[in-house]
Amino acid sequence: MTTVSAAVPEQIRPWSPGARGGAWGAVGLVLLAVLETAQALVAPGRAATAADWQAATQQLRADFQPGDLIVAAPAWADPVMRMHVGDLLPVAHAARMDDARFGRVWVLGQHDAHAPEELGRRAVFNHQFGALTLRRFERPPAQITYDFLERWQEARVIDWDPGRRVASPCPWARDSFVCPRTGNTVRRTLVEVEQQIRRAILSPPVAGEIIALEFPAVPLGRELVIAAGLHDTWARKSPGTAHLEVWVAGQPVQSADIGNRSGWHRLRIDTAARAGQTVPVRFQISASQPTLRYLAFAAEARR
Amino acid sequence: MSRLFRDRFITVALFAGVVSWLLATEGREGFGRDEGQYMRAGERYWGWFEELGRNLGKGRAGQSFAAANIDHYWSDNAPDHPVVMKTLYGLSWRAFHRCNCMGPARALHPVPVLGRHITLPLFKRESTAFRFPAILMSGLLAALVFRFARKLVPWPAAAAGAVLAIAQPHYFFHAPIACFDAPITTMAFAVGFAYWKSLRSARWGLWCGVIFGIALGVKHNAWLMPAFLVAHYLWMRRGDLRRLRPPRLPLAFLSMAVVGPLVFFAHWPWLWHHPVQRTRTYLNRHLQHEHYNFEYLGRNWNLPPTDLDLKLLRATFPFVSTGLTVPVTTLGLAVLGGLVLARRRRGRPLADDSHPPPDAVGLPRPLLVSRASPAAGVATLAPRPSWMRPGMDVDRAPGAFVAAQLFGPLAVLAIPSTPIFGGVKHFLPAMPYLAVAAACGLAWVAAGVADVLRARGAQRHVVPATVLLSALVCVPAVTETQRSHPDGLSHYNMVAGGFTGGATLGMNRQFWAYCVLPMLDWVNHHAPDNQRMYWHDVLGDALAMYKREGRLDMSVGDTGFGEPGVERSAMGLLVHEKHWALYEKFLWDHYGTLKPSLVREREGVPLVIGYERPRP
Repeated sequence: MTTVSAAVPEQIRPWSPGARGGAWGAVGLVLLAVLETAQALVAPGRAATAADWQAATQQLRADFQPGDLIVAAPAWADPVMRMHVGDLLPVAHAARMDDARFGRVWVLGQHDAHAPEELGRRAVFNHQFGALTLRRFERPPAQITYDFLERWQEARVIDWDPGRRVASPCPWARDSFVCPRTGNTVRRTLVEVEQQIRRAILSPPVAGEIIALEFPAVPLGRELVIAAGLHDTWARKSPGTAHLEVWVAGQPVQSADIGNRSGWHRLRIDTAARAGQTVPVRFQISASQPTLRYLAFAAEARR
Repeated sequence: MSRLFRDRFITVALFAGVVSWLLATEGREGFGRDEGQYMRAGERYWGWFEELGRNLGKGRAGQSFAAANIDHYWSDNAPDHPVVMKTLYGLSWRAFHRCNCMGPARALHPVPVLGRHITLPLFKRESTAFRFPAILMSGLLAALVFRFARKLVPWPAAAAGAVLAIAQPHYFFHAPIACFDAPITTMAFAVGFAYWKSLRSARWGLWCGVIFGIALGVKHNAWLMPAFLVAHYLWMRRGDLRRLRPPRLPLAFLSMAVVGPLVFFAHWPWLWHHPVQRTRTYLNRHLQHEHYNFEYLGRNWNLPPTDLDLKLLRATFPFVSTGLTVPVTTLGLAVLGGLVLARRRRGRPLADDSHPPPDAVGLPRPLLVSRASPAAGVATLAPRPSWMRPGMDVDRAPGAFVAAQLFGPLAVLAIPSTPIFGGVKHFLPAMPYLAVAAACGLAWVAAGVADVLRARGAQRHVVPATVLLSALVCVPAVTETQRSHPDGLSHYNMVAGGFTGGATLGMNRQFWAYCVLPMLDWVNHHAPDNQRMYWHDVLGDALAMYKREGRLDMSVGDTGFGEPGVERSAMGLLVHEKHWALYEKFLWDHYGTLKPSLVREREGVPLVIGYERPRP
């Protein structure tokens, strides 16, 4: 005879799932175990091989035309794609503002993954190379009437003190605009916004000042597209926003507060009413807490 | 074979099996930022013992205990972490490495090498000797899980539970390295087990304090253990609360409060001369720990979220991470086991009368057995509750105990202000209890299978069938774990879709540059450019260890950190994490190319990117 504490209820009588429950439980368990084991054994062999990449990129190189965009799907495969065809991808393409200007987009996809650049279109070319799929999409590219990034040196940069109503020009110096009063610089560079590399005009705000970049003669199309964000993952640990205001032909038309969560924030300004006109476009940047608010932006006027 | 002998044999076999598995595989794991520092610190701590030996020989032992001398050695990696494991790493290295210390790597040691070390050269690599104590701790965990689970379920399920505790890709990654996350998991389980036993044994009440003190000396996770134990204790003694009578303060808690801090203080020489000030410094180091970068569901987290939507999303982190990293079969069994334990709480007893309680006769008491088992006679053991044995007169509520130990660490990591930069490793102490729950689920199914067999008159097949089922459920976990190695940090389970699925979901894939080991050959083959090598997130301590072991040529250089390091370099590595895009920008800027020379990947997922500066 054994002894059991009187106040320990779990030791009084047994409980089991019973024959039916046990049988079903065991069958389910065995099936799950077999499925998971099989998946673990099979999955490594489903990855794209060097031979797959070789074959797919050979095809791509044969049909590639200058100005084509190449993207990886899923996006996390981008470094592998660049290792194989990075020589076909200029930095300006890889660090693009967006993909509207590209009429032909190649997608190197793993396991049938799709890229946002496909925009739901049907591929005009679609071929499987092992675990890789090479697709080409074609569409009418956006017609750029003015690329602010390419023509950034045409800007007039001014450091404006609204309190004292004093405007100080920031002259060109070697590779950037330098504001002598504040030491602030404005330049085109590669930036990191939302953990992606972009090509942009970097124009950090200054305490109590407005930095204005005016492009004196911009031939407008139907829209003005702007993307802006805060550069530098470490700097984005600081609080506060940068204020971006867009002026067209002397009128403020749109603004945005760009903060840590803004990402690569898009602004679209309808300029259809002024299409064909050449007008000044100004970007004004300010911040109440400018510390480590590295505002970067790119813009295009599109027909 | 007696039950006692069988259980002891399985305990030893589990320990030996886990240690062997880890020793066979650890060499494929590189050194991370933290591990390199702990190896350095461990060797430096050994330096103190070495000097103490010399001073003893000269009759000047007191010199070793002078404040300046203690700080000379023990300030390394202080106030970051206490020194139980680091000291063991240093002693293990000193005892078991194969000494090439007088060769070209002599200058890479953190303490002067005065002569060739006489050792028991068990291991080919120095790093294995450093890692050996951590590996032993993982073996101990398997043994403890078995011993604890054995009190709830039959031996095949308990043994499976022990295997499932180890065969988890993220745990397995942390298990062999000379860090603290696997050891504190073992210690957390040991503290919990000691507390569980203390509920009916005064002896274990005293041991609980000692074990807790050692846990405090392993890692700061130990601070949280009492909270989980108190939660269980209050639940177990909820009858007292209903009667508006405060529960007795158990001996275990008293022991933890008194003995624990004493052991903690005694073990860490750095505290000896300034106990209050330095304890405060240590506490603040962790209470105010910065939020390093970590990717979760496509976002980079490096701050405590302030917006409500992000707080809510952030709160899901430990639960989603558990759901996507633990092998699915293990998870399924754990859910089943949770239901079994919860159902028992609602008054559906699980245990078989035929098995006596361990405290009565010292034998294990399975919680889950077949309905068809014949019940033996039962007598009543008079409850003798006291503050020394506060669980004598009540059900110890194993379900509540497992739940508190499992969900406690997860709940802490669900607090949005808690840093999550280490991912799963922050709540690893929950995982052995998840395995215990899985063992309960397995035992429940096995009991049903036993009923089926008995109903068909196949009584003799019950044990083989149960053993086979228990072995079978371990296969996916072991296979997944083996598949993930050495990149367990990047691995996600079948639900997530493996390596690629985790990447697509925007889950963190790695941290602290453990993953560069397979790139070293590429670096070695690029002399002389590799003399100007940018190492990104690989710290000098890790590079020194790679060189000491001959895995990295002695002539390979290190141009330093950040953009200046990139600017000075001729070639470089980039550990591919979401927030390091800024550093890839530096490489594009200064090398003038975006085309990597080499990408190290797992199943197509990039882990490390190698760049070379194009020649003009």
